[in-house]
Amino acid sequence: MDRRAIFFLAAAAVCGMLTPLIPIEDGKPDITWVGKSTAVAFAILALLSWLDHAGRRRSP
Amino acid sequence: MVVLVVGIALAFDFVNGFHDAANSIATVVATRVLKPWQAVCWAAFFNFAAFAILPLEVANAIAKIVEKDFISIGLVFAGLMGAIFWNVLTAWLGLPSSSSHALVGGMIGAGFAKAGTDVFTHKTLVSLRKTGVFILYSPLVGLLLGFTLIVIVMWLVHRLHARRAVNRSFRSLQLISAAAFSLGHGANDAQKTMGIIAALLIGANKLDASVLDNPDGLPLWIVLSCHGAIALGTMMGGWRIVKTMGSKLTKLEPMGGVCAESAAAATLFFASYNGIPVSTTHTITGAIVGVGSANRLSAVRWNVARRVAWAWVLTIPGSAAVAMLSYWVVEVFN
Repeated sequence: MDRRAIFFLAAAAVCGMLTPLIPIEDGKPDITWVGKSTAVAFAILALLSWLDHAGRRRSP
Repeated sequence: MVVLVVGIALAFDFVNGFHDAANSIATVVATRVLKPWQAVCWAAFFNFAAFAILPLEVANAIAKIVEKDFISIGLVFAGLMGAIFWNVLTAWLGLPSSSSHALVGGMIGAGFAKAGTDVFTHKTLVSLRKTGVFILYSPLVGLLLGFTLIVIVMWLVHRLHARRAVNRSFRSLQLISAAAFSLGHGANDAQKTMGIIAALLIGANKLDASVLDNPDGLPLWIVLSCHGAIALGTMMGGWRIVKTMGSKLTKLEPMGGVCAESAAAATLFFASYNGIPVSTTHTITGAIVGVGSANRLSAVRWNVARRVAWAWVLTIPGSAAVAMLSYWVVEVFN
């Protein structure tokens, strides 16, 4: 089991769940993209980490 | 009385520098790029220089935690007492908790003790929600950037087949990344005290409330004194915390140090531009964990990270409780 992939997946879930809580303030730039992009980035890292782990296990 | 509370606010800023700014130099000291005294002077200079570079949006956000009609000298005094007590306690225990959240917690507690939930309007609650959400985001963004940077750098180094030579170059680069982090720290943390002093002066009718609509209009003496106090605090150092952050959390090489500090600096710049009071401690911890976990997750000493996390969870309620008590004591003497 790749613990790093699980860790990144958990981080992606936290970022995704927090995104709707980021307020949009009048006259200020919308920063909800931070939540969305970190969630996506952590999910990609989880996938890459899992692929890397699986590749290492397969190689002799 | 106003002068006394301004003095206490500056003392808090000094303690903040003492307690938090050590984080700016932890990796430089841990990787032996600079001697501790050289590192604190380097960080202090950039803490001070930050006033000329970044906008004062964070000061604005902090000044608006409590609705201005409720702000009084006693309230600000109690809020500061809560934050200072919490900082001293966590410094004594060697825990890298957040001075910023201690201040936010202190102001919330004092405000709540004064007027219950009436003290928080829709506007202040929106600002608090943003701060609360970024309590979690700042270490995660630091972690993500730290991990991504170190992976890119390690891949490049692997292709160049020159790890030792690259590590030597990174020793010099670390001076730049430490300077960037100190700039971010000075901008975000000194502005929190500016916000408190601005709120105090508005509460005492010594400053026009319209200054909050244009934070760049804050009197220069407030800006300079806050940056000066945090720089002095940094000079005095906080060696127990340097040890925790620099070597206990994970072992770092210069390459890792540069990546962690650059990731944390980028996060702090983003937060400062958007008026989000984040914790430099949270951010650099996340970045260090990100860099450490690029090798393997077991490279991170999770028991130390867990102690740090507990300090984070308890900071706002702890400082708020002390601030509430302080406010009631102030009221008795009134």
